[in-house]
Amino acid sequence: MTVQAAVFVGYFLVVFGIGWYSLRATRDETDYWIAGGQLGWFTGGATMAATHTSAGTFIGTIGVMYTAGWSFGWVLLSIPLAYWFMVAVLAPRFTRQQELTIPAFMETRYYGKGIRGLSATIILIATVVYIQAQIVAAGLIANTVFGIPTDYGMIAFTVILLVYTVVGGMVAVVYTDAFQLIVMGLGAVFAVPLVLRQVDGVGGLMELVQSAHPLVFTWETMPASLLLTMGLSFFLGGVATPEKLIRLYAMRDMKTIRRGVLFAIVMILGINLLVFVIALSAIVLFPALSTGDLAMPMVASAVLPATLGAIMLAAITAAMMSTVDSLLIVAGSALSVDLDQNLWHTDASPEHRMRMNRIGILAVGTIPLLLILAGVGEGELVQFIVLLFTALMAAAFVLPVVGGVLWARATQEGAAAAMVGGVSATFLWEVLGSPQVEPVLAGFLASAALFVGVSLLTPPPPPEALAPYFDAQEHAAPTSPEPS
Amino acid sequence: MTMPGFTFWGLFLVCGLIVAAYLAWMWAVEKGEGE
Repeated sequence: MTVQAAVFVGYFLVVFGIGWYSLRATRDETDYWIAGGQLGWFTGGATMAATHTSAGTFIGTIGVMYTAGWSFGWVLLSIPLAYWFMVAVLAPRFTRQQELTIPAFMETRYYGKGIRGLSATIILIATVVYIQAQIVAAGLIANTVFGIPTDYGMIAFTVILLVYTVVGGMVAVVYTDAFQLIVMGLGAVFAVPLVLRQVDGVGGLMELVQSAHPLVFTWETMPASLLLTMGLSFFLGGVATPEKLIRLYAMRDMKTIRRGVLFAIVMILGINLLVFVIALSAIVLFPALSTGDLAMPMVASAVLPATLGAIMLAAITAAMMSTVDSLLIVAGSALSVDLDQNLWHTDASPEHRMRMNRIGILAVGTIPLLLILAGVGEGELVQFIVLLFTALMAAAFVLPVVGGVLWARATQEGAAAAMVGGVSATFLWEVLGSPQVEPVLAGFLASAALFVGVSLLTPPPPPEALAPYFDAQEHAAPTSPEPS
Repeated sequence: MTMPGFTFWGLFLVCGLIVAAYLAWMWAVEKGEGE
């Protein structure tokens, strides 16, 4: 057995072991969807950081930095600021009432099953596209590194992922995420000194990069408008994408959330900065790659010694798996809990519900794979798919979620208009708008205008919808009878 | 320090400052809750 194969077999055995343990630890739906809501700061923070760190980091970010230079690195700063905002402003009210899914929150706050169905549908469609991007990246790596045909790589990746996620739900996801974060951290920490040795340290790296790509440390490789709107996209996506919000319900209390998010911020910044250094090195070591997305797999297979290269590749796989497993939970719960059990099988028994939950995850994992194998959505730069997903989620959910717990006057109609308008504007901009500006700006502005405008034009929400999130005196004024 | 060096290390520095500021905020919030 080669060293690479041994590392991967060992890695997958640990992941399956955790999946098996999680099956036994999962007693009911609360365990299956939010890990019982009792996570501590380490597991809670680790799963947040691991979910955040995806193929977008190890393949996409490096890809963009390889082609566009260091200025892209500054976009990173929007991420800790987003998490901070989430903990300081959103979480204290958002977590007053625990739900199993984000669409369930929408039903409670916006008093209607229809808006829950709408949220679930948006999540389902956007997530399937995102999962596709990650599966494509997995196939690319399997092909570059092991010479396995891309299709087989994608199938193997999806099957492994589905086994432990279907079996163990959120408990499996959380503990495999913690393990995968450790693999990612180790991969990045060990790789950087070895890569730097190839280019004579940081000083040597800077000189070599400058001579290979003179614009790399300037602001000329990417328009400022694009950088700023990308930053906005990551910020808004960090604040209110469902796979992050759901982790607020999974952690024990606010003190745990504050500490968990600090841990997540430190890990995300650390891993990203190390990855940035590897990206710069790739410019020097492999100046003529056909796509920037290949930079990291090339470093892992051609620069690092066999064992370390295998750990690095396991780290990339870990990054993808830990993100896709979380997305499977979000999309699977949208399909089975928020659509099927909420709208159609409302009186299903607990056993039937658990069975449907597992089928839901199986479906949302299989559909993206089948779509790619049928030739839909292949060949896009991973980072840009990640950005489009983030933009869609930001346009659909930031205002209804953040505005919903901060502004008592926000109504069901305002939230629905914000979601539909935000998603439509994001798509329209993606197709027709200037490529110098990320579609998130159009989506967010449309969403904000509709959220506020339509809310003010429609009757105030009933007191029972506000009670879980606002103190009585806060919503007394907006819900008092209007003089008419 | 050269411009590339400034840009390169600047990003590390700002990240460190954000973490320090978060820690200070967390400490202040927990101190407030304890009182």
